[in-house]
Amino acid sequence: MDALVQELIKIKSEGAGAVLITVVESQGLDGLDSGDKCLVRDGRIVLGEVNDGDLEQTLLREASERLSDEHSRLVSVETASGGQADVFFEVMPSPPKLIVVGAGHIAVPLVKIAKLMDYHVVVIDDRILFANRERFPDADEVIVGDMAETVKALDITPTTYVVLITRGHKYDEPCLRELLDRPAKYIGMIGSKRRIKACFERFKEEEYVSEELISRVYAPIGLDIATETPEEIALGILGEIIKVRRGGKAQSLSRKR
Amino acid sequence: MENIYDDVKEFLDQGETVAVATIVSTKGSTPREVGAKMVVTAWGEILGTIGGGCGEADVRREAIEVVRTRKPRTVRVDLLDDISSDSPAVCGGIMNVFIDPWWKDEESD
Repeated sequence: MDALVQELIKIKSEGAGAVLITVVESQGLDGLDSGDKCLVRDGRIVLGEVNDGDLEQTLLREASERLSDEHSRLVSVETASGGQADVFFEVMPSPPKLIVVGAGHIAVPLVKIAKLMDYHVVVIDDRILFANRERFPDADEVIVGDMAETVKALDITPTTYVVLITRGHKYDEPCLRELLDRPAKYIGMIGSKRRIKACFERFKEEEYVSEELISRVYAPIGLDIATETPEEIALGILGEIIKVRRGGKAQSLSRKR
Repeated sequence: MENIYDDVKEFLDQGETVAVATIVSTKGSTPREVGAKMVVTAWGEILGTIGGGCGEADVRREAIEVVRTRKPRTVRVDLLDDISSDSPAVCGGIMNVFIDPWWKDEESD
């Protein structure tokens, strides 16, 4: 148990994502007792043993789903031999990562608010006058370089959120091309309805990008809260990210309009 | 972010057995969410919270037993029949709390 506690502490300090699986109640499941545990990280069991190969696959699949929706849950698991167990999947999510492409006037409040909420924040721009430490003292990483090339090289996971707010469609579009088939939880792109429609039409016609991939993109970006200032737009974008992350409806809880 | 396992480690390093109580499922309105945890020591000292009130007191009592016997158990906490109580933790829901003993195995060191 000592090794497990140490591993759990290490996972937390590294900011890695993991799932601790605990048997809560076992009925006729060979060799599994209440309190038995295993730890899943990077898609495999790193501590604890499961002797049944099918059961191991079931547990890994469930763990990966839990990690992606960030909700711990009690799950009833059955095996081919007729055993059954209630198993608790405790999610230890890695901190969400926000990638802000384009370091203009919306990026500044966006990074500030995201840091308040403990996101790991990366800012990218090709202009050092904009992407620098003076403008973004709170950001975890500030990268100066070709935006599409930089996005291409970044590690993007199911807990990554990407906001495309560059100074023009000429720059947003190549970044979006690099992102469409990556596993980001959220991709948002700024722009007017008309320009976005034109962009998506081009994608479909010229490059045979599927409707399914395009429908992942949140564009125009943000919640409809009639934002006006850069600060309000930034809040609207983060509101949308929270909605996607937590599965909300984004209405007033009072149902008032 | 809180990390309850830091506390668990400290107790284990001192050779103590502790109980970790986790809300594993809920029905209706409950004071805390699935996954909320608290650590209970042999003397009933509590770190963290699963919502306070009578429900937490019941879990604490059971947890002391779990530390003593080193056998896990699940406790159903019913917040429904508590309406007349003046405890602030009356929510009207039900939660299942898994209580699990943790200790340091000698052979693994």
